[in-house]
Amino acid sequence: MSQAMSLRASRTRYALRKFINTLMLSLTGLATLFAIIPLVWIVVYITREGGRYLSVDFFTQLPTPVGVPGGGIVNSLVGSLIVVGIACLIAIPISLVAALYVADHPTTPLGVLVRFSTDVLSGVPTIVVGMFAYALVVLPQRHFSALAGSVALAVIMVPPVLRTTEEMLKLVPRNLREGSLALGASNWKTSLQVLLPAALNGIVTGVMLGIARVAGETAPMIFTAFGNPFFNTDLSQPIATLPQTIFVYAISPYQDWHAKAWATAFVLIAAVLGLNIAARLLTWWRTRRLRLA
Amino acid sequence: MFKLKTAIAFGVILALAVIVSACASNAAPITAPTSAPAATPASGGVVAAPTSPAASGALTVNGAGGTFPYPLYSRWFYQYATVDPTVKFNYQAIGSGGGIAQITAKTVDFGASDAILNDSQLQAAPGLQMFPTVAGAIVPSYNLKDTDGNPITATIKFPRTALADIYLGKIKKWNDPVLTQANPDIKLPNKDIIVVHRSDGSGTTFIFTDYLSKVSADWKQQVGNSTSVQWPVGLGGKGNEGVSGVVAQNEGALGYIELAYALQNKLTYGLVQNKSGDYVQPTTAAVQSAMADFGTDMGDKLAISIVDAPGKTSWPISGYTYILVYMNQTDCAKAQKLTAFLKWAWSSGTQYATELEYIPLPDAVRTAVLSKLGQITCNGKPL
Repeated sequence: MSQAMSLRASRTRYALRKFINTLMLSLTGLATLFAIIPLVWIVVYITREGGRYLSVDFFTQLPTPVGVPGGGIVNSLVGSLIVVGIACLIAIPISLVAALYVADHPTTPLGVLVRFSTDVLSGVPTIVVGMFAYALVVLPQRHFSALAGSVALAVIMVPPVLRTTEEMLKLVPRNLREGSLALGASNWKTSLQVLLPAALNGIVTGVMLGIARVAGETAPMIFTAFGNPFFNTDLSQPIATLPQTIFVYAISPYQDWHAKAWATAFVLIAAVLGLNIAARLLTWWRTRRLRLA
Repeated sequence: MFKLKTAIAFGVILALAVIVSACASNAAPITAPTSAPAATPASGGVVAAPTSPAASGALTVNGAGGTFPYPLYSRWFYQYATVDPTVKFNYQAIGSGGGIAQITAKTVDFGASDAILNDSQLQAAPGLQMFPTVAGAIVPSYNLKDTDGNPITATIKFPRTALADIYLGKIKKWNDPVLTQANPDIKLPNKDIIVVHRSDGSGTTFIFTDYLSKVSADWKQQVGNSTSVQWPVGLGGKGNEGVSGVVAQNEGALGYIELAYALQNKLTYGLVQNKSGDYVQPTTAAVQSAMADFGTDMGDKLAISIVDAPGKTSWPISGYTYILVYMNQTDCAKAQKLTAFLKWAWSSGTQYATELEYIPLPDAVRTAVLSKLGQITCNGKPL
């Protein structure tokens, strides 16, 4: 009798626990869904608004003024590639080398200082970084330039790339480093040939995410790269970038330019998403190859 | 080991090569002669221009300033690239205030402003000259239904001081006697006037408050004239589109917008009584009449307020927009291109201005402006 009762009680308890489990699972599922909704919404909306304006001309033509039909964003596309590319050339070497040092000497005064200042730097609003680049590059040269834009983006790029690289280097087992040193490899060889390759996946992902982050920066571009309706590859001249083009088109009072702003936004989102996906694929492909080897 | 070092060395060299080549390849040719829009037979030339040998050193002249003339300037510079392919004019609309700041800091080759520079601004930039390019008119736009509930599409007439009293909050209702007496044919409702103004600093606000200061001593004393003022009453909207948006959403709303914007978007706008007591349509002729009223008094500054013009055929709320150029240039090649462009803009360029609803300079003003342009020097020598 009592056995049957306790059995029933345990069954009720089990049912309750099962119910709570299901409830919580669906709640977390719902929360995840809410987290994804904005992204899906943005992508779908921009695709719908911007997709219909896309054509081959849009990628190969220069912009046209109001009242002249057609026109594209080839100058902004190439401009963004150049500005972000130069920013990478500046930021990535600095970030990698600094990360190697910080990962190796986390408690030295310099290591602490570098970590602390990158944390502070990553919290600085990007428009302030733009003003910094304006004061540092534009004012002395008396000239807006693509290079000034790259400097601004490089400053924004260093903290995330440095911190990701550092974290990734920390994940490399200590045995590997000790083994390398025990075999007589010098410090720099250990860093370059053992630590960096072992952490490469994470580092590449960090770099890609850093690029994706700065590719969409508008505020620091306005007073550095400035914008340019003509085609330009001269680093000392103003240059158009995708986010700045979106900004100019979006605040205009013209329907045609609004449509172009959406289409440009679509191109930018596609590029950033593509970069993110490429980063994941690259990681996946490398891990698989390492495992097979 | 050796391989790695070589690889690093190669990487560094490659990176440097990329930077150097990018710096050196001034205006790389892009050959994308896809079907040019039929509307502009010459537009293919813009794309193809950099390939011509003369353009290998194509000059870029940079400018920054107000958003009001941006559609026209971008059209001018676009067309001018086909007139003179050896120069590219790059204009960025960062606002009149930004334009003044950048030309003062000499980070751009020319500035642009809708507002007239005051003495302290001119002192900060010695030798800076204002050149009027075109003018624009401002109209009051409204959204209102008459006493029968039908939308009012007729043009409401605003007596000379009515707008000032409305923006001061003295006239509160649409059926105020001041308005009903001026509009006997329109059944104005007993509704509050919802006053709408620009929330951002703007040349349009500068011209509008300039007008209000001229017709109302109270306005001049209490509020004054600036690109942004402390509005006694009303709601704000950013840009022309913001103001017209607020007007469209609120029945009984009244805002001020640029005529070009009102025409392009087919908005209802009213007439404003001019100084001589007449109601004229805000046409190109009416604004040019206002420009001509003051044309001979522009003086050395070449900048003058043209609101509340005395002429019988003059529209009362309009203003010039200016390009800011140093009278003594340091880069002679750029100076020549810039003056050549301005001469083109004031002659052949006027057709694009008219097309985009801007008002070209009348002859009297153009003569004064051209003679001043001829006095520009480069490093102290005439061009």
